[in-house]
Amino acid sequence: MTDSMKRRSFLQGAALLGAGMVSKAGAATLPEAPVQGSAATAAPLVPPNGRPYNPVVTLNGWSLPWRMKDGVKEFHLVAEPVVRELAPGMHANLWGYNGQSPGPTIEVVEGDRVRIFVTNKLPEHTSVHWHGQILPNGMDGVSGVTQPSIQPGKTFVYEFVAKHAGTFMYHPHADEMAQMAMGMMGFWVTHPKDPRQHAVDRDFVFLLSAYDIEPGSYTPKVNTMLDFNLWTFNSRVFPAIDPMVVRQGERVRIRAGNLTMTNHPLHVHGHTFEVTGTDGGWVRPSARWPEVTTDVAVGQMRAIEFVADNPGDWAFHCHKSHHTMNAMGHDVPTLIGVDHRGVAEKINKLVPGYMVMGEKGGAMGGMRMPLPENTLPMMTGTGQFGEIEMGGMFTLLKVREGLARGDYRDPGHYRHPKGTVAYEWTGEAPPAPSAPGGKAGRADGALDVRRGGASTGHEGH
Amino acid sequence: MNIKSPLRLTAATAVLLALTGCASFSGDAGMGAIDPLVQARTGAPARTLKTEADRRALDELLQARLAQPLSADGAVEIALLNNRTLQASYWELGIAEADLVQAGRLQNPAFGYQHMRGGGDVSIERTLTFNLVSLITAPLASRIEGRQFEQTRQQVAAEAVQVAADTRRAWVEAVAATQAVEYARQVAGAAEASAELGQRMRQAGNWSAYDQAREQAFYAEAMADVARATQAATAAREHLTRLLGLWGTQAQYRLPERLPELPAAPRDIADVEQRAVRERLDVQAANLATQRTASALGLSRATRFVNVLELGAVRESDGGAKARGYEVTLEIPLFDWGGARTARAEAVYMQAVNRLAATATDARSAARESYQAYRSAYDVARHYRDVVIPLRKKLSDETLLRYNGMLLSTFELLADAREQRSAVNAYVGALKDFWLAESSLETALGGRLPAVVPPSQQGATQ
Repeated sequence: MTDSMKRRSFLQGAALLGAGMVSKAGAATLPEAPVQGSAATAAPLVPPNGRPYNPVVTLNGWSLPWRMKDGVKEFHLVAEPVVRELAPGMHANLWGYNGQSPGPTIEVVEGDRVRIFVTNKLPEHTSVHWHGQILPNGMDGVSGVTQPSIQPGKTFVYEFVAKHAGTFMYHPHADEMAQMAMGMMGFWVTHPKDPRQHAVDRDFVFLLSAYDIEPGSYTPKVNTMLDFNLWTFNSRVFPAIDPMVVRQGERVRIRAGNLTMTNHPLHVHGHTFEVTGTDGGWVRPSARWPEVTTDVAVGQMRAIEFVADNPGDWAFHCHKSHHTMNAMGHDVPTLIGVDHRGVAEKINKLVPGYMVMGEKGGAMGGMRMPLPENTLPMMTGTGQFGEIEMGGMFTLLKVREGLARGDYRDPGHYRHPKGTVAYEWTGEAPPAPSAPGGKAGRADGALDVRRGGASTGHEGH
Repeated sequence: MNIKSPLRLTAATAVLLALTGCASFSGDAGMGAIDPLVQARTGAPARTLKTEADRRALDELLQARLAQPLSADGAVEIALLNNRTLQASYWELGIAEADLVQAGRLQNPAFGYQHMRGGGDVSIERTLTFNLVSLITAPLASRIEGRQFEQTRQQVAAEAVQVAADTRRAWVEAVAATQAVEYARQVAGAAEASAELGQRMRQAGNWSAYDQAREQAFYAEAMADVARATQAATAAREHLTRLLGLWGTQAQYRLPERLPELPAAPRDIADVEQRAVRERLDVQAANLATQRTASALGLSRATRFVNVLELGAVRESDGGAKARGYEVTLEIPLFDWGGARTARAEAVYMQAVNRLAATATDARSAARESYQAYRSAYDVARHYRDVVIPLRKKLSDETLLRYNGMLLSTFELLADAREQRSAVNAYVGALKDFWLAESSLETALGGRLPAVVPPSQQGATQ
């Protein structure tokens, strides 16, 4: 969209202006702050120096490069307003780091000394809390408690040793309600010293976040507490979330952190998995149990692992059904079973362009009607067999034979072996079973519900 | 007065008759004098219906005008010819003219024949009596009746102009009221659809009695609004019908469905005050009154020493019967040399001068106020047309988009439809106010304003 292009170039202008405000002497001592503009999934960042590790893949995100200085890994985060493409056709005015929201994933190795420069280009003060890290109290990033907040235009330095391998995240601990509602967050992975320890073939990471963006607007309503209308993996919604592509037989790890205000039961089809890690560390093998769904509570992180032994296109999603929808009206009354004959014509006379929806259920049967500016259909996405009717926290785990190592390209729809797809039965219908002693259901299949006050007294009109 | 030898007087009578310069009938009951006055101010002719031919011509005109939806100009045209109260006033003019002509005519001479027989004597006396006083007073009486006629002319013209303005306003009210019924019906239609859908929701088990009753209540109130609007429309139309003097099948005339659209620009009148002072009949009447008292003053001054006559108009009211005339008093200037009379005439004159000044001041003020009201009414109507209605339309479009995205329900869509129609109704109200303000402006400026601005082609009333 041209609007977002304009906004983007404006933001770049603002970033340049901000950079110009840093003094030359100061700038020389700061490591580079790389910027990412694309919402595509970046290739894993193979470590160019320091200890070796198996890099992770950030869904629709990227990992932050560093510089080594006197044996210290130096990163530079720039907190700033950004425009995030939640899905093609919808952009959000968010706050993030280095051109994106969520910010880049920081990957370090157990025992690394880490120095992180944080420059604040937001209109208000901020701080960064390194969620789950065991570090000196003064590095914990709680403004007012452990440090003064970082004022606009200022740069602070955090320095600590990444003591424990595991799955972490970072986010502000200053005006955090507004700043997290605006998308200030990022992933953090501390790899084990020995790359063979907990080694997996593919390691996907993402954060769960939620936004309330009124259709037709661009900025989230930061005061919304629970009634969000966009539920995201890394600030992307299906069908714009990249699939997790793996080769059949590979060991796969998926790590997710929850920075929304409700829990998310993450569910994988076609495989069982074990929860192998939390933000508290690795789960002992004896304590793991098999799951197909794991609940990620608010402020928690989970790492699940499984062997992708079952080829196909497998749904991976939050099991709260509203979380696999995009923007929708939560106060719209249920129209299921409501006869619209006669009324629809009357309404059409008053509101040209009116179409009856919902009298048979929520599905829109592939209808594509004009929507308000900058929003997405409630359910969307098309598969090889038709409408997927999903949005939000939903993507596909694509397991394929014979993919190359490190090949994350979308292999397209799964080609089912003959006779392995559910099909329509065209033979004689089997007799309906009846419960012993139970009376048969009504012939028309309608529920026989009795209500009080069924007489409406409205026939006179 | 008995004159033994009347023959010599015949010639004298003829001379006197010539001197009085007596008035004669105009042949059209005096309407010829006011028709231009009325036409200039209303755009339509004023004519007395006298003959069967006149009646037929009117019927033909009515037939032609009522075959089409009646325009405001057409309504004014009909009212000026067919309003019977106005026709009665037109005849007032005929009465005044007759009085004027009568005043200009000398009383008929009376011929007397006396035959007496007594003491064997027979005397025959033939007399031709002639009212000499009337001969002396005839010019004065003529002058009084002339003024009376002039005044009646002013009155009748003013009445016709008033009826024209009333008709124009009644037409605007009637058309707007009809439109209001249409919009009330649309609002009720939206409420009806809501109520019906609410009933179906209840039947399907999706809604409570509370929700259904709420939608029904909207509908019930909307129906009451339709009834009220219909009653108001009937009243407005009947008011117009009365002014048009129509009844029977002719009362079933049609009106346009909509008020005329707002002109592209308001009239820009730089000289509203001058125009009011120049054109208004009340100012003209005050002006004439001043001129009359001025001439009376001049007369008093000229005749103060030899004044033998006191002239006065008499208007008597005895119970229901009204009589009008004049009286002449003969007076011998022995004690009163006319000074007081002159002073009185002077005072009357100054009174008239001040009344003229007051009338002109009021007219100027009314002109300014009406023009300001007219411009404001235009701005309000334009605001509705160019700002409020497009915004309402935009809101409706956006509401439909939100319905499409299942962000809002059908009920909100219908509630918006109701609100949109209310806004359109408010625009019709503003448009009505504008046309009424234009009519008031014309009244305040003394007559019909030229159509300087062609009606706007854009900005539909939807």
